Amino acid sequence: MPTITVDGKRIECKDRQMILQACLDAASPLPHYCYHPGLSIPASCRICLVEVEGLPKLVPSCQTPVRDGMIVHSTSPKAIANQKQVMEYLLVNHPLDCPVCDQAGECLLQDYSYQYGRSQSRFEEDKHKKPKKDVGLNVLLYNDRCIMCTRCVRFTREVSGTSELYVDGRGSKEEIDIFPGKPLDNKLSGNVVDLCPVGALLDKDFLFKQRVWLLKEAPSISPVDSGGENIWLHYNEGVIYRIKPRYNAQVNTWWISDDTRYSYKAVHDEKRLRGARRMQYGSQIDTSYSKAIEEADAGLRAIAKQNGEGSLYAMLSPMMACEEAYLLGKYIRSIDPQAVLVLGPVPSTGQNETFKHYISGKTTFTIQAEKVPNAAGIRRVIALLGGPTADLAGLADSANSKAGWIVGGYLSNWVTDQLKLPKGFKIIQDILPTTISDRADVLLPAAAWAEKDGCWENFAGKIQPFVAAIAPPEGTRREGDVYYQLLGRGGFYIADEVRAEMGEPFATVKLPDIHAQAPEPEFIEL
Amino acid sequence: MKDSDVIVLDEPRLSVADQFYLPQVLVGLGTTMKHMFKVLSGTDIVIQYPEERREDMPVEQGGMLLRTYRGVHRLNKDEEGRVKCVACFMCSTACPARCIHIEAEESPWQDREKYPAKFDIDELRCIYCGMCEEACPVDAIELTSMYDIVGLTRQEMIFDKEKLLRIFDQTVEDEPM
Ligand code: SF4
Ligand code: SF4
Ligand code: SF4
Ligand code: FES
Repeated sequence: MPTITVDGKRIECKDRQMILQACLDAASPLPHYCYHPGLSIPASCRICLVEVEGLPKLVPSCQTPVRDGMIVHSTSPKAIANQKQVMEYLLVNHPLDCPVCDQAGECLLQDYSYQYGRSQSRFEEDKHKKPKKDVGLNVLLYNDRCIMCTRCVRFTREVSGTSELYVDGRGSKEEIDIFPGKPLDNKLSGNVVDLCPVGALLDKDFLFKQRVWLLKEAPSISPVDSGGENIWLHYNEGVIYRIKPRYNAQVNTWWISDDTRYSYKAVHDEKRLRGARRMQYGSQIDTSYSKAIEEADAGLRAIAKQNGEGSLYAMLSPMMACEEAYLLGKYIRSIDPQAVLVLGPVPSTGQNETFKHYISGKTTFTIQAEKVPNAAGIRRVIALLGGPTADLAGLADSANSKAGWIVGGYLSNWVTDQLKLPKGFKIIQDILPTTISDRADVLLPAAAWAEKDGCWENFAGKIQPFVAAIAPPEGTRREGDVYYQLLGRGGFYIADEVRAEMGEPFATVKLPDIHAQAPEPEFIEL
Repeated sequence: MKDSDVIVLDEPRLSVADQFYLPQVLVGLGTTMKHMFKVLSGTDIVIQYPEERREDMPVEQGGMLLRTYRGVHRLNKDEEGRVKCVACFMCSTACPARCIHIEAEESPWQDREKYPAKFDIDELRCIYCGMCEEACPVDAIELTSMYDIVGLTRQEMIFDKEKLLRIFDQTVEDEPM
């Protein structure tokens, strides 16, 4: 393994790695704009130039492979002079927009201005003004903020393979554009917003909603398909404002699909079920949550007693966390040891969507056809619990099933015409109203995935945990808390506790250590 | 939150004397008497507010300088009478009392990107430190010298954008931007 020295610090590198990437891996980053580990290297922005002993000129660290014993200086007078000059040129036409720019706070131009730039502009001419442009369904382009790093262009070519964006013009007339009548509307389009190191590409959905420094983040998993894309939920004061990708080399790398990106909307849907209801003389009335739970429990017990073993069933939704499914299974089996456990409907588009590199044709990203996150996990939990199980069709046909606990939790309507459920007593736990929720004997409004902890298994058998970002809205309860109460366990649902009980492979599921301490901000002297 | 972050406080127990309340009532009366004698002997000054106001008195006699007083906020207007604020959230970020609540939207004007659709300041939570004024990049928010603001409910004391702009109209003559 080659070892290099960067500004006096020894760094172990992989063979043929670029200097910049080695530094990034060693957590001592050099400034860079155009370099992105997921894209090709154009070495065009020139802020990463460093001095390498023995080479006469500065070299781009993003494109220079390491050599054993290389001595690199990024803080030598020559390197610093370059950084200052690059910054000055980039800011020549850059508007003083930070107060109204959504990128402010996570902008590399701001950060590097502060670290490597100068505080005063020497440019006295009029700045170029370019209008903002609507480039696609989700994306807005502020051309005058662009620094022409071409990350976005490379993304549409090399990852989404759709090549909607291109560079138009030369020199100071250079700008990013779309071809007439061909908007940026592929299913990965939102990623260009994350990629853009400055505020040139912005998300229409997030536009002006919040300043980024007000947002807090919680690690989570995409709820829209079985791919298990790793995400951050960005929230503030109980509201989720946006979803950003969380890097995971084995699952989604740096990207997420647009469906994932906007999936948080269901959480704040106005139609969310709130307040428990129960059936009385054929019509549903409001009731307190604890009363409804008692009613559900009493109802199930009475029917099980009357009809004997095997008369109860539970429909475990593929939107549930594995822990919750396990608890519900335990509960229903505690009343009726022969209760049937069924996996809820698993909607699918039939075909995975793949994205390919525009030249090599290599698959770069796949959106899974299965439109629920945890079908595999629920199957695993049902197998873990053992006992009778069936599929949905079999359940409807069986004459035995007299009462059931049905969990929804899907982000859109899941009750299709094909769905058949046994007649009789029904307890429904769901987040959005459906055609069956107003016919439930007991209706228990539940929490969406962003409001609870748990783990999901993706299509490839990877079990990944997610944590709650916000509290469930008033009048709803986390499924886990309801089951804790029904099982007579004290306190509130703790996902870790249940996972430990479930044994392997769940017991070892842990959040990756993401809360590495960020360095204290430097005190700024004005 | 970790367990070590939680501080459990017990209510202090009342002593026997405290439980009778009467001794505490007498202590309170004592304070009143103390002030009464101070006023009678001339060491304390009494002002007949609101007929007499401190800004009308010389500073040496307990008056105050209105020019440097930090009172209720106003939102400044530009030459065309539009709210000057660009909804950058700098003031609410700087605010140590967290009493400024802004909702930004795309502005209806051609020459401006963003403007505050809502701008609420909770004047009861505000500590009148002036940080917001200090932070604003466009000089849109200022503290005026108005201090005699009243309201019958807490809700009334949360000043919205319209009210803050009205305060600008009221004060702009005496205190230009
Ligand atoms: S892109 Fe960055 S530097 Fe430019 S206006 Fe936005 S925040 Fe400021
Ligand atoms: S729009 Fe953003 S990502 Fe694209 S070239 Fe400009 S600065 Fe780079
Ligand atoms: S700092 Fe000024 S411009 Fe920014 S939100 Fe506050 S009042 Fe508006
Ligand atoms: S990061 Fe090396 S030239 Fe842009």
